[in-house]
Amino acid sequence: MKPAYIPRVQRSYVGQYRARIDGIEKASGRAKYAADLTVKCRVPGLLYAKVLRSPYPHARIRGLDVSQAARLPEVVDVLTFEDPDVACLKPTNAGWTDGVDTLSYERMMWRRFRDRRVLGSHARWVGDEVGAVVAAESEEIAEAALRLIKVDWELLPFVLDPVDAMAPGAPILHPELGDTNVLPEDTVGGADVFVDKGDVAQALADADVVLTATTTYHNATQNSLDNWSCLIEWNEDNFTVWSNSYEAHQTRMHLSEMLDVPLGNIRVVSPYVGGQFGRGDTGDQPFFLFTALLAKRTGRPVWFRHSRRESFHDGRQHICYEGALGAKRDGTITALSFNSVGNVGAYADHSMFAIKFAPVEATEVAFAHIPNVRFEGRGVYTNKMPACMMRGVGNSQLNLILGRLVDGLAEAMNVDPLDIACKNFGHQWEELPDKSLVTVLQTGAARISWTEKRHQPGEGPIYGGVKRRGVGFSFHPGWHAEWQELRRGEVHVTMTVNADCSVTLDAPTVETGTGSNTCNVLGCAEALSFLGVTSGDIHWISTVDTDASPQDCVQTDSSVSFLQSEAMAAASKEVKGKLLERVAPLLDATPPELDIDGGFVYRKDGVGGRWSVKQLLREASLDPITVAVSRRPLATRTGVPFIATFAEVEVNTDTGQVLVLRLVVVNDCGTVMYASGAEAQQIGGQCIALGESLTEEIIYDERTGFPLNFNWIDYQIPTMADMPEIDPVLLEVWRGEGEYGACGLGEGTVTCTPCAVLNAIYNAIGVRIDSIPVKPETVLKALGKIGS
Amino acid sequence: MALSVTTQETVVRPPGLEFLINGQIHRLDTGSSVAPTTTLASLLREHFGLTGVKIPCDQGACGACTVIMDGKAVLSCMVLAVEAAGHEILTIEGLPSDDCVVKAFAEQSEPGYGTALQCGLCTPGFVMTARALLDRVPSPTISEIKEALSGNICRCGCYAGIAQAVRHASEIVPKASAS
Repeated sequence: MKPAYIPRVQRSYVGQYRARIDGIEKASGRAKYAADLTVKCRVPGLLYAKVLRSPYPHARIRGLDVSQAARLPEVVDVLTFEDPDVACLKPTNAGWTDGVDTLSYERMMWRRFRDRRVLGSHARWVGDEVGAVVAAESEEIAEAALRLIKVDWELLPFVLDPVDAMAPGAPILHPELGDTNVLPEDTVGGADVFVDKGDVAQALADADVVLTATTTYHNATQNSLDNWSCLIEWNEDNFTVWSNSYEAHQTRMHLSEMLDVPLGNIRVVSPYVGGQFGRGDTGDQPFFLFTALLAKRTGRPVWFRHSRRESFHDGRQHICYEGALGAKRDGTITALSFNSVGNVGAYADHSMFAIKFAPVEATEVAFAHIPNVRFEGRGVYTNKMPACMMRGVGNSQLNLILGRLVDGLAEAMNVDPLDIACKNFGHQWEELPDKSLVTVLQTGAARISWTEKRHQPGEGPIYGGVKRRGVGFSFHPGWHAEWQELRRGEVHVTMTVNADCSVTLDAPTVETGTGSNTCNVLGCAEALSFLGVTSGDIHWISTVDTDASPQDCVQTDSSVSFLQSEAMAAASKEVKGKLLERVAPLLDATPPELDIDGGFVYRKDGVGGRWSVKQLLREASLDPITVAVSRRPLATRTGVPFIATFAEVEVNTDTGQVLVLRLVVVNDCGTVMYASGAEAQQIGGQCIALGESLTEEIIYDERTGFPLNFNWIDYQIPTMADMPEIDPVLLEVWRGEGEYGACGLGEGTVTCTPCAVLNAIYNAIGVRIDSIPVKPETVLKALGKIGS
Repeated sequence: MALSVTTQETVVRPPGLEFLINGQIHRLDTGSSVAPTTTLASLLREHFGLTGVKIPCDQGACGACTVIMDGKAVLSCMVLAVEAAGHEILTIEGLPSDDCVVKAFAEQSEPGYGTALQCGLCTPGFVMTARALLDRVPSPTISEIKEALSGNICRCGCYAGIAQAVRHASEIVPKASAS
């Protein structure tokens, strides 16, 4: 039996270890995802859409001949970039997504670079959707039709490396935006030098110790198992979209603004989604638009689904960070300087969020006590798959250099890196050392036996003649606390107490697997515990339907779990008020004279007995009591808690293989909303984090620009056999505002692991490896056993 | 006379294909839209509506389409529909509602291991692979569990919870089923 976390406050429901509310539905295969609602036997008139994709990294379509494709039997429609329905569409980008609050075309993010066309004629990476889309009676016919389209390609020179792409004479990917591949300054990320506090140059010149390092984070993709799809059907002047996107109301806004259809005429239905990890948080959304156009033109339901290969459509930014750190002799860090170059691929999407926005947040909440901090960063277009949002966006890449510098400084000064971390990092609202960071690091260190296992780099015992072991860690500020969710707008929840005291809970959010649905039910049971209801009495509505639900709370920042529970805590007072109004006449009392506890109504003056709520409700009107609330996140700035990963590795110095023996994942999250779900996020995040550390990367043929591993055979995702023992540790040290004062947890669980693994490898072999993924050849090169 | 009618019927009506799925015979007549290239996974989903079978990769890499064919776990995206004709197929829809593997996956919440599922898309495949393992090895060791389930991908990364669920299920597998 492993230890359970220790809650700061004992509550009846919130914080429980328990099964997920959708456990049986999902384990029995009965849970329905978008692709399950749209199988041919359920939607008889279904047509299948397939889009033309560029076989070249950089090319223009001079002309298309679709006549042969259109003549193929069972091809129903072919739509091309020259069609007025398509040509009139505005340029677009990823700004529709991750607005968190619903955004219009004018207010969307990244207005400076609307760099995507719907079915354009300019292809910028192998796989780019261009030129034409086909609707046919079967997927096979649609694919066959695509092969019959004669494309007159004008091949253009391409560039894959961002440094090459910045050089004079490099092919320009987006001439419509300017004469450079460097993304322009924008309203969200700011200038190239986007943080400049104090005087970093002077501070580095004055420092007793100066340390520099360069780290490279490679590209990985989200690899959600539920291939992104939509089914669209028109009925007169309105249409319905069934989709596995992670946001419903924003999808509706996207379609409305791009197709000029009133919001009320569009219905978006989102049932269970098989994993998100940032997958749908991208500009790669024109498929909604051309599917809607095809459905309108053909008068039939049309289905578009990415194949596995096509599901490699966005991922993590490949970012190279140069970092410099200056410190005093006592270990006080006086200067931090970072210069980054990010490969954003063919489209900007949300890359500047990763390159600029995430570091700005980290500066505010973790580098507040360091007097001189400078960040300079550039995002550069290249002819690769676009990068966008992926779990841990921007912070994963930043952590690789941050944890490396802290480890390096500790070594240079011959002190423990845990002490360097605690001495220097924290937010401006608290004195150093930061209580959260100290507790997180002390707990993690104890769990991995840091003192016993840590040794001088490369000087530990040798196992089996060739194997060396080491331990390392990295830490990062957590995200997101409630005050960081202000841009989200309002969080909506509707609670309906039925006449039998059962509760229907509409806490709209698309269930992508995060477990926020179970948090919701626990939060609701906690808030309504005065009614004597249990979590089993609460029915959670699992499908978001824009015709029926209030605006969904978008599954970003890992914060839905507590934001909706905070809203329910507020709503419960209103439920109590309405209920007392309803039953007071039956008791010859006024509502202020009454109260409710444990499912019983009583007079506050103690006169009379206790009356069962259930019974009173049945005697009063049988109308359900419905309370709909919307609540803006609280703005009180409370800082954030810290997170860390500790890793123990074993490196085979003969084969170069790195085996991660153990990971300890520590999250201070203010309040644990649902312990089993939180641990599942901590453990589960390591599948992505370890994959990125050791095996996952997209490999391109440099000669042709062709990606070589857009499949799950050559792109290696860790399986059960690859995963080490993982120790999830939940802490409640920091506290935010509100009833629970919780903080996002899931997204950050991937952030610290790659750097912890690299630091552990250094501890094991005494040679630095500063880029991921660490493949056996990387280790052998570092050891000088094979040529570089 | 009767004989000649039978003969005539045989000639007029080509044999088609018969599938034994979850204990029931399903017939596909010749001329249905099932192509020779149709996979068992696609047949089960698109024709028979058995959507517990998932097809994330369609290339035998993720295990989400796992069904049990003649007692063995197979990747139904790697089996042609015509190959499966005449064989006994069990999909997750065919498991009894109180199946101990399903229950163990649904209920896993033992501290330190997380849940055995999150988004749930890989879960039916894991359940079927685990079901086939326990039918063969009623009390597997942890390394046998890892070996058997290493062909399935859970991107939510619930591997620790899944292993725990299989252990819990193995403890409650009726020992009689081993014989």
